[in-house]
Amino acid sequence: MADTIKLSVNGVEVEVQAGKNLVDAVAAVGIEIPHICYHPALGADGNCRMCLVEIEDGRPPLVPACKTRAVEGMKVRLDSEKIKKIQRDIMEFELINHPIDCPICDQAGECILQDYYMKYDGAQSRMRVPQVVKGKKIDFGAGVVHDQERCVLCARCVRFTRLITKTGELGIVNRTDQARVNIFPGRPLSNRYSLNVVDLCPVGAMTSSDFRFKQRAWFLTKSKGICHGCSKGCNIFIDHNREKYQDDIIYRYRPRHNEQVNGYFICDAGRMTYKQENEKRLRTPLASGQQADLESAINALKRRLDQAANPFFVVSPNCSLEQMHAIQQLAAQKKATVSGFSEGYIQEGDGDDWLIQDDKAANRAAFAVLGIDETKEVFNSALKGADLVVNFGNDLSLSGVNNTSLGTAEMAFIGSYANSCADAAAYLVPVASYSEDSGSIINVDGVLQRYETAVKKNVPFPNMLSVIRQLGGGLDDVQAARTSLGNTVEAFKKLDLQNIPAQGLALTASEVGNVTA
Amino acid sequence: MEVKVLSAKFDIEGANKLEIAKEHGAYATLDKLFAMEPAAVTEVVKASGLRGRGGAGFPTGLKWTFLPKGLDKPVYLAVNSDESEPATFKDRYILVRDPHMLIEGIIICCYAINSHDAYIYIRGEYTSQVKVLQAAIDEAYAAGYLGEKVAGHDFRIDVTVHRGAGAYICGEETALLESIEGKKGQPRSKPPFPAIEGLYGCPTIINNVQSIASLPFILANGADAYKAFGTEKSPGTHLFGISGLVQKPGMYELPLGLPVLEVIDKVAGGVREGRKLKGIIPGGSSTPVLTPEEAQDATLDYESLAAHKTMFGSGGIVVLDDTVDMVKLAENLVHFYYHESCGQCTPCREGLGWMLKILEQLIAGKGKVADIDLLLELCDNIEMKTVCVLSAACTMSLRSYLIKFRSEFEAYAAKNASAEPVM
Repeated sequence: MADTIKLSVNGVEVEVQAGKNLVDAVAAVGIEIPHICYHPALGADGNCRMCLVEIEDGRPPLVPACKTRAVEGMKVRLDSEKIKKIQRDIMEFELINHPIDCPICDQAGECILQDYYMKYDGAQSRMRVPQVVKGKKIDFGAGVVHDQERCVLCARCVRFTRLITKTGELGIVNRTDQARVNIFPGRPLSNRYSLNVVDLCPVGAMTSSDFRFKQRAWFLTKSKGICHGCSKGCNIFIDHNREKYQDDIIYRYRPRHNEQVNGYFICDAGRMTYKQENEKRLRTPLASGQQADLESAINALKRRLDQAANPFFVVSPNCSLEQMHAIQQLAAQKKATVSGFSEGYIQEGDGDDWLIQDDKAANRAAFAVLGIDETKEVFNSALKGADLVVNFGNDLSLSGVNNTSLGTAEMAFIGSYANSCADAAAYLVPVASYSEDSGSIINVDGVLQRYETAVKKNVPFPNMLSVIRQLGGGLDDVQAARTSLGNTVEAFKKLDLQNIPAQGLALTASEVGNVTA
Repeated sequence: MEVKVLSAKFDIEGANKLEIAKEHGAYATLDKLFAMEPAAVTEVVKASGLRGRGGAGFPTGLKWTFLPKGLDKPVYLAVNSDESEPATFKDRYILVRDPHMLIEGIIICCYAINSHDAYIYIRGEYTSQVKVLQAAIDEAYAAGYLGEKVAGHDFRIDVTVHRGAGAYICGEETALLESIEGKKGQPRSKPPFPAIEGLYGCPTIINNVQSIASLPFILANGADAYKAFGTEKSPGTHLFGISGLVQKPGMYELPLGLPVLEVIDKVAGGVREGRKLKGIIPGGSSTPVLTPEEAQDATLDYESLAAHKTMFGSGGIVVLDDTVDMVKLAENLVHFYYHESCGQCTPCREGLGWMLKILEQLIAGKGKVADIDLLLELCDNIEMKTVCVLSAACTMSLRSYLIKFRSEFEAYAAKNASAEPVM
């Protein structure tokens, strides 16, 4: 535990962490100092002036809280008439030239101006002169559309491109109330994290061309999730909604703060993987190449598996720990070789030194922990003798395995997304994807994380664990799988897999086995 | 009333040239300077009571002592020559007529604060002035007064002239530093103050041209000689730029502490024939206006003008006579500050434009009396809520116009037939 200091806020003594600015220090004990331009990842800029607080006996007596370090014995006043008036005044200045087009603004419902107006302002407009006219729907590139009139010039987006991505595409041009955020002519946003400016924007000035006008924020259910776009396992919000007469659909991913994994941000590519959860899904079960209902397909596959002389299981590096464990158990029972061969998921050189990883699979680290072989040699030799290949979601075409190279073996595919392996399958069981399921994964840095079911389809896909159970597996559900993992896997024996902390559990080097992070 | 301290060489033809300037004493203090300890130089400046001539009037010598001791970072000197305050035109005389006095002052200051790199941040519009200044610097380099060994002593000083791009805000010392660093000229939050963390993150002293140019006289003649001019708390002389509706507008060097009205009458020749004095803006556009009644016992020094709820400012005196329309003057003033707001802080960025539009509406005959009260409230709402004092410079002046000449504003409101009658 870090050092703490005592200071007084509105005459009440509070104990806060030392070394923080006033906004963060007192936020930790539940006291809000309103602020617009300050963001913990971007540092204090001090331009919005919303966080001005009084320091009793202070010099100067009025300071921006974001730029003021909390120190022992400080007497902070937020509740004086003077401060309340300043907050009202700042809101008035923010709003006089704001279009107040909330009914057509994507940010409505999660807008700092709306929230602060209700909390700190509430006054009628006194503006009787024409508003400043600025640019609307300006294409900033990378799927970011900018509205200069809604902008409060907090410069969060500008600071993001300067301090975080260091690409500097954005700047504030002009002075006075003609100041506006803009790109340089012909130089649009072109970094792989551009869409974070949409999340950072406290108002509706930065919108995503992918999301804009699709949903009202207040209709969205904001579920916690883990991005499966690469092996980083960034924490996300899965924003989804079931419209009347429609199915539950995901409309966007947004970053969810986790200091241990992704900080405040996610990459654009990962953000867009939500589309795969809605589209490109496997829907029609197959039994012996014929369309079938789910039960018949699973039963047919079970019969085929029972008869197989030499079954071979292929597992996807996107499967959860629980799924992999159940697959291993079933394989042991059926005397099947298990291979996690999936080198095609790795895009050499695509990663960077921040969030984006070469490995586009979410849980490859689990292979080493569970002892699942992923070499091409084992895959090829096992394939040679196999008469039935049961593929658990692994898109082998990525790894250069086309359907003819699979030889005479019959194919079964248990997965969520359409691909050529699924096309070639005689037995096909569509299952819930990660956004509809619960599980645990280990990221590239050895952080074990849990995700829970976010989306509930009108007609839910069965989860893979239940399908494995119907095929003869012995694990009832994720809880049973976790208990079994804890009992049988060396690395997990000392861990409580049922209670992984929200920020994830950093496994030690010995726990993640021979994985090099 | 006029004195010749800073302006001693102003009327000498060719004094901007090194040869002629030297004939009249330029660089004569350097031997004395390098024989002194740097701290002793600072002590002399402190003892002289010289106050910052940029407008704020902070004691120059005291400012130098704020530099951290024993730091292994370089110390920079930035000479503020961004003279952009409306009605202020004193530094340009130094730049053009006696640039070597400025360079000599820079050498004195650099030696005192142990700085080897000085920047002169010159207003972008001073296109001809910058040529004269640069030519003088080139001459000083050629003659060995600047460069590796200043006047043969083991002390390096390099002077770089940095031209602004036409922003008033770059006269604010931290915006000036940002601009030198190649960034958009926007003031920094303080603390940290520039003396601790200034140019390129290093300790930096920022002094006005006239402050620096006062140093050769002080060093040559001693603190007491300088204090012989002016008042006890506002010692020395000042270059006053008197403009507006007077008979003899111009730049006059005067000791501080002279009565305002006497200066206007005797130095600047008074208001024009048949006109009546209406108001005095004592120190540049950002200082609140004085009515003739208020000015009766006001003297041109920091204390007296502060006591009259205005400021000494930059010595740019604007004289207003009875033909001046205070509402249009207010509009002109607000337009300037609106246009020059850097756009960083919310109250200044949004508020000044709003105030300008209200004034424009009032002048167009579409205003109301309530607008005058709204303007007064907006002055309060904007003032001192921002990183720098640009907005306060506007609101303090505007408030003085609104309060002291309210009837003129109400007269405009009365032109609006649709509004409520003026009570």
